[in-house]
Amino acid sequence: MSFLAPLLLLGLLGLTVPITIHLIGRRRARVVRFAALEFLIATKRRTARRFQLRERMLLVVRVLLCAALPLALAKPITSCASKGPQIARGPQAAVLVVDDSFTAGYRLEGRTLLGRATDEAARLLTQLGPEAEVAVVRASEGAIHPTELSREHLRLRDQLASLSPTARPADLDRALARAAQLLSGSSHERRTIYLLSPLTKGSLRGGDPPWGADGPALEVLDVRDGAALPNLAVVGLKVEPDPGAGSRGIAALAEITNHSLLPAVGLTVSLRVAGQIIARGQLDLAPGETKRKRFLATLPPGRRTAEIAIELPADALTADDRRQAMAQLRDEIRVLLVDGDPHAARHDDELFYVEAALRPGDRAEAGTVVSKITPDELDDVEIDQYDVAVLANVAALPAEDVARLVTWVKAGGGLLVAPGDRVDPAAYERTMLPLLPQSLRDPIDTAWGAAPDERAARALHLTKWEADHPIFAPFAVDAPGLAEARFTKIVLLGPTTDTDDRKVLARFTNGAAALVEARKGDGRLLLFASTLDRDWNDLPIHPGYLPLVQESIRHLARRRVEGATAAIIVGQSASLPTLDLRKLEVRGPERKGAVFEGGRIEGRRSVRFTGADAPGVYRVIGTDRTGATRDRDELAFAVNLDPRGSDLAPAPASQLPGAGSGTEGASRPSERRVELWHAIAAALLMLLLIESVLIQRAR
Amino acid sequence: MPRLDPVALARLGSLPLKARVIVEGALSGLHRARLHGSSVEFAEHKEYSPGDELRHVDWRAFAKLDRYFVKQYEQESQLTVFLVLDGSGSMRFAGSGLSKVEYAGLCLAALAYLIVQQQDKVGLFVFGAPGGDIVVPPRARTSHLTDVLGVIDRAIAGEHGDDDSPAAALERIGELARRKRALIILASDLFDPDDRTLAALRRLRAQRHDVAVLQVLAPEERTFPYEGLTLFEALESDHRLLANPAAIRKDYLERMDAFLARVAEELTGAGVEYHLCPTDRAVEDTLLELLATRQRIGAGGRR
Repeated sequence: MSFLAPLLLLGLLGLTVPITIHLIGRRRARVVRFAALEFLIATKRRTARRFQLRERMLLVVRVLLCAALPLALAKPITSCASKGPQIARGPQAAVLVVDDSFTAGYRLEGRTLLGRATDEAARLLTQLGPEAEVAVVRASEGAIHPTELSREHLRLRDQLASLSPTARPADLDRALARAAQLLSGSSHERRTIYLLSPLTKGSLRGGDPPWGADGPALEVLDVRDGAALPNLAVVGLKVEPDPGAGSRGIAALAEITNHSLLPAVGLTVSLRVAGQIIARGQLDLAPGETKRKRFLATLPPGRRTAEIAIELPADALTADDRRQAMAQLRDEIRVLLVDGDPHAARHDDELFYVEAALRPGDRAEAGTVVSKITPDELDDVEIDQYDVAVLANVAALPAEDVARLVTWVKAGGGLLVAPGDRVDPAAYERTMLPLLPQSLRDPIDTAWGAAPDERAARALHLTKWEADHPIFAPFAVDAPGLAEARFTKIVLLGPTTDTDDRKVLARFTNGAAALVEARKGDGRLLLFASTLDRDWNDLPIHPGYLPLVQESIRHLARRRVEGATAAIIVGQSASLPTLDLRKLEVRGPERKGAVFEGGRIEGRRSVRFTGADAPGVYRVIGTDRTGATRDRDELAFAVNLDPRGSDLAPAPASQLPGAGSGTEGASRPSERRVELWHAIAAALLMLLLIESVLIQRAR
Repeated sequence: MPRLDPVALARLGSLPLKARVIVEGALSGLHRARLHGSSVEFAEHKEYSPGDELRHVDWRAFAKLDRYFVKQYEQESQLTVFLVLDGSGSMRFAGSGLSKVEYAGLCLAALAYLIVQQQDKVGLFVFGAPGGDIVVPPRARTSHLTDVLGVIDRAIAGEHGDDDSPAAALERIGELARRKRALIILASDLFDPDDRTLAALRRLRAQRHDVAVLQVLAPEERTFPYEGLTLFEALESDHRLLANPAAIRKDYLERMDAFLARVAEELTGAGVEYHLCPTDRAVEDTLLELLATRQRIGAGGRR
């Protein structure tokens, strides 16, 4: 502590005055010899203690008064190290950038970081004084920023009081840029940005500050006070159907990260399906480690979709202890098998193996509904009822049938064509080309003219399949179940047809295309260069046949499966297929949502929902042309927090933007001068008041 | 008739002179200024005539003779009066006027003068005085008055007194006057912390003595007029008390009034004649009050 006017401390000598007066007063008390002293003593016994106490209090108060006066006049000051900014009252422009991201919902010592920030902001507002032009800028991503500075401090206080953590991560760079922009329009010389944030690593991108050398001063107030903010978060969740767990089986793959400096041991991770916790697992996580946890579950009977949530025990930041997704079973794929070579003996039938592959073990829940017809019955079938059609060894169809099929394919149908002995390439060339990715040439028989013992050696094999393609996704690179199948007869393919995105997915060992895919309109075409039964190859008796057929059918039916929107992050937009509906309503977790009808949906194949500003599951309710309204569970989608906001590690100093105009660096502890005389003067007044009360009572 | 200021009276000189001035000066105009005892004796019968007190009608005589006679009494031949002077420390308190002991001494000296004048016996008992208790046995001779007044004078002259209670002195007087009823006049402030004085007075009354109490108090003790920080010193002990009188005045006065009320109530209840005598009151007023009361009692006959 030091004094601006130390000489005035000599006034402390005045301390002796009340003490002397007190002592002299005692000594100079009038002496009276009194007879009725007993009465006095009895009286005094009750009042003496009070009187003495009052006398002593008066003495103390007077001594303090005599000490306070010279002390106040000597103007004592002290200084203290403070992270807080030095605030000067008066005319100036200031922007309070308050971090209201979901990270600010972190509870530190019983209060949220946002609560600390708003309290600090309110204090700053008081210190800046009524002449300061101020704006409050929210720092969460996508926040709406003010357009001007204001002197309406009451309104600003209300604004601060109404702030609550959003579901978005912080974007301090954008907020600071906006703050600088607001201040650039001010005529005040003093322009300061006060940044109130926990300053997490993810909230700042670093780099050059969004202002030049003459930019505003920047004062950074770390609302975490340098505390480490440990946090455990679910940062990812992926849910997919899991055939291994049955037709209703799903697999949930959760990613959990330990954003703290201590290991997390025995962390309980819970899986919630349709509101019920059905599985729990334990996890050990080293500091900073991310681990994946896979849960298998089945959806409740009768439901093809369900809300899935992965939950952690609540910690200081509860928002990211839960992550949601919509589990959606694949719809049953309706498959129309057109048998070009029906046979009474089942195993001789052209489609015997395909049927068996699509309904393994004749299980009712195979995920496919298979109908088998002959080519002649094609006229009677409502092809729109099917997702996938398979033409197996079908002779060239009449032009009208082909036209129907082409229309169906363009609308999204999937067609698999496989040749056979009944297929005449020339006839196909005439009518069937719109249904083929490539024209057909004559078949080649690799065993033709070979001795029986050489036939096996001359057979072709599948090779060079597109391992990344969904059809071959289940296979290893050298899948023996495919590679060992022998093809003794294949059809060679000619020029490409009028299709898009033609692609050879697999070839034979002689280089000829084995499986070709192409897109036509919204649909897909798949051409297999050999038979689907054992007439030209022995693939059906190899392990690779079943997954190949199933994946091919699923791939062709992909349009349906793609109906659902994958989980999105808060703030992202969701694209929803209109499904030829008349009205589509999206309802969010907080009853917020959007309605698409009339011009917003008519004639569109998809609409874009941009109101996902809170985490949770968004339901979709559709009204079709007949006016029927029902939940479209297949379109429901989950919205989750941005995992970037879960890492609360402090941003390195280098990431903080520098201040303009030669101001002090951000967050550097500063020496703050604390003037004590105001407090002493206030105490002086208080002492005077106490003294007058004591004197009044003594009378 | 103008009254003599006690302070002026005190300056008059020797105590006998003061007593004489009081009795022969101030009281001379009064008809038959005489101190009565209550002990009276039957003298004779007299036939009733209108104006006689009905209470003196002898109903036995009426039963025998069928005529109304009234009894006539005569004062006991010679009254014995014990004057008891409290010479203790607390009586040395003077305030702005006479000290309490001076005032009490003046009263008792005047009474002694009066009693001797009417040829009754007067004795004196001084307690609490510096030289210890002094007893002057009752006599009726004129020369005896000199002794009594001398003792009073010496008792007044001392500066300090003890903290004796009047109780012991009263008990001794009870013993001394056991054989013959007497009038006992106590002049004291009755500052007795343990209430023994009142009990002793009640016992004297029970022994059929006439008892009168002159409670002598300084005006300052009744009004407590002090201001500013004051150090009060006890007269009978080493007690000292530093106090702000304003702070304690109300409480003190309440206690003092309660004490006086209690003393008056208890003494009156016990048949003790009680007089409150502030030292700024004329001595003759006090004496007249006492004499008037005694006369009334004497006229009332045996109590």
